[in-house]
Amino acid sequence: MLRLFVRKALQLAILLVGVSAGAFWLLDAAGGDALAGLNENPNISRETLDRLQQIYGLDRPATARYASWAARALQGDLGDSITLRLPVTKIIAARSAETFKLAAVTLSIALFTSFGLAFACVRWSNPIFDWFVEFCVLVSASLPVIVASLALLAVVASSLRGFEIDSLILPALSLSPPLIAVFLAQSRRGLDAALKMDFVTTARAKGVGETAVILRHAARIALNPIITLTGLSVGSLIGGSIIAESIFGRPGLGSLTVFAVRSRDVPLVMGIVVFVSVAVWTANFAAEVLQIINDPRSADSERA
Amino acid sequence: MIRGQPIPSGPERKMKAGGLKRFFQSGNLSLTAGASILFLFAFVAVFADFFAPYNPTEQDRSMPSAPASRIRFFDSNNRLHLRPFVYRMRLANPLFLRYEEATDSPVPIGFFVHGFQYRIFGFFETNLHLFGAADGNANVYLLGSDRLGRDRFSRLIYAIQYSLIAAPIGTLLASLIGIMIGLISGFSPRSIDLVLMGSADAMLSLPTLILILAARAAFPLELPPKRAIALLIVVFALVGWAEMARLCRGLVKSLRSREFVMAARAIGAHPARILLRHIAPNTAGPLITQATLMLPAFLLAEISLSFLGVGIQEPMPSLGNMLAEAADVSRLAAQPLTLLSPAVAIFTLFLGVRLIASARSKAGEII
Repeated sequence: MLRLFVRKALQLAILLVGVSAGAFWLLDAAGGDALAGLNENPNISRETLDRLQQIYGLDRPATARYASWAARALQGDLGDSITLRLPVTKIIAARSAETFKLAAVTLSIALFTSFGLAFACVRWSNPIFDWFVEFCVLVSASLPVIVASLALLAVVASSLRGFEIDSLILPALSLSPPLIAVFLAQSRRGLDAALKMDFVTTARAKGVGETAVILRHAARIALNPIITLTGLSVGSLIGGSIIAESIFGRPGLGSLTVFAVRSRDVPLVMGIVVFVSVAVWTANFAAEVLQIINDPRSADSERA
Repeated sequence: MIRGQPIPSGPERKMKAGGLKRFFQSGNLSLTAGASILFLFAFVAVFADFFAPYNPTEQDRSMPSAPASRIRFFDSNNRLHLRPFVYRMRLANPLFLRYEEATDSPVPIGFFVHGFQYRIFGFFETNLHLFGAADGNANVYLLGSDRLGRDRFSRLIYAIQYSLIAAPIGTLLASLIGIMIGLISGFSPRSIDLVLMGSADAMLSLPTLILILAARAAFPLELPPKRAIALLIVVFALVGWAEMARLCRGLVKSLRSREFVMAARAIGAHPARILLRHIAPNTAGPLITQATLMLPAFLLAEISLSFLGVGIQEPMPSLGNMLAEAADVSRLAAQPLTLLSPAVAIFTLFLGVRLIASARSKAGEII
């Protein structure tokens, strides 16, 4: 476990340097910063612009700026947002809590729905269930967040006048279809495969009831890939929150990203990029640890 | 293959060879359905000028936010018309944008009517359109008009065309770059390999949309449509190569140690020949699968960026920026179906892609 952590942490360090340097270089090479828009404003004199550039340190070469940014980032200071005039870390901390709540609700909806459907499918094996599950996978896989959230918005707007639009459930519901497609297909396949294994035959021979066989014996094996997929889905959830939060007007990490990009606030964009890579890394690492706890055999393959 | 696969006996094999069940199970049905959907979209995109009755950017300020025209066969006197017709619409209440149909003058819908000028493939100049109002003064709005009085159906047709430019070209470019980097990485010494794959991992650690948005932040917000599409393609290529490179490197590494490659090397074949004739053909399948996964991701990225106002921008229509109109709750409540028509198009397009993907995986399971 410790070796796994050390190796993963090393990966994260390399990755952070790569991501931040890449983003910094790209943002710098294209010359896009919040001050770029002021160039054309006739009311702002050359001197004012020069002074502003000096204040934000934009007159120094890019490598020097990156070095000082990285040095401060190591101490947990990601600089100040140019447009919001607040420390980037503070803004992200406030906004990301909302997005993580949304992600948690979405994940629970997706996991419960898909595991429930997959369970029903193998417990009462029935061609209608099979067909229904296949249909669900197909439809939910073709429902991107933007389509799902607008359709949901239309339903709510035209039918239930009193429905609270700023509740968490609507964006969560619209974020879940792509996840349900992945989870449902995988848990269905996983349960099917697990039920063919020898230990399941043993359990059945002992006289364990079919429901218990599925839930206590087969599910644990079938859960392994689901844990990994859950870890991997955090990245796509944060990506999807960009759209869902803009449509439902929620102040989270997604809408913050849109704001940062539209105002070309370089420190804020950099901060978000670094934060999201750390979040995705943490989710993947947590998934790996959980998988080892659930199935200790996977630790052996890790060591090998 | 050898173990645990009973050889089908007579009757079972017979049923498998022909029969409807085999057709359904083999994934041929979903392949046919998916391919026809994609073909339809491609056809509409290529001949958008012909299918669209009106110019997508032409405004009719006297007809803002008009509802969809109702196609009728029976007029107000209950008389049957063999040719479908619409009633001319009149803005009855400009404040609440309420429209009335003038039931005294039916306007027949004509097929192959003359409308705005365009060129087929940039050569033949023509003004023929699939359908339109036979009377030039009336409008047929299949999906209503937007708040600037532009025909939403025409905009949808052109939006499909624009959306089907950036993502496929971006996918192609990203695949080529990725394959190149993967090949280099697979054949290089460890140090170069480490650097290349390290940067690929860095790209892969971020969600695609965040990465694309961050890359987009580097460029001016307002861009003319052609440059916006070019920029999207560049951003897709910059962002998408990583996964392809990883896959290609893995394939090359595993193929390099296979017997047929060693045999080729033993008889003194040139490394370039080994690469082109022995390794490249064996990487095609997985790489194509990867490209088909990349295409919907980029389609969605373009739609999302346009929706957020940083992709293809007004006045050019795109599936994304047309949906921005639908994000207004009060308007969405009034005309849900016409405003969501781009969403329906997106759903159908993704269904097509998904059907083909599932047919591919089913075929893989059976074989």
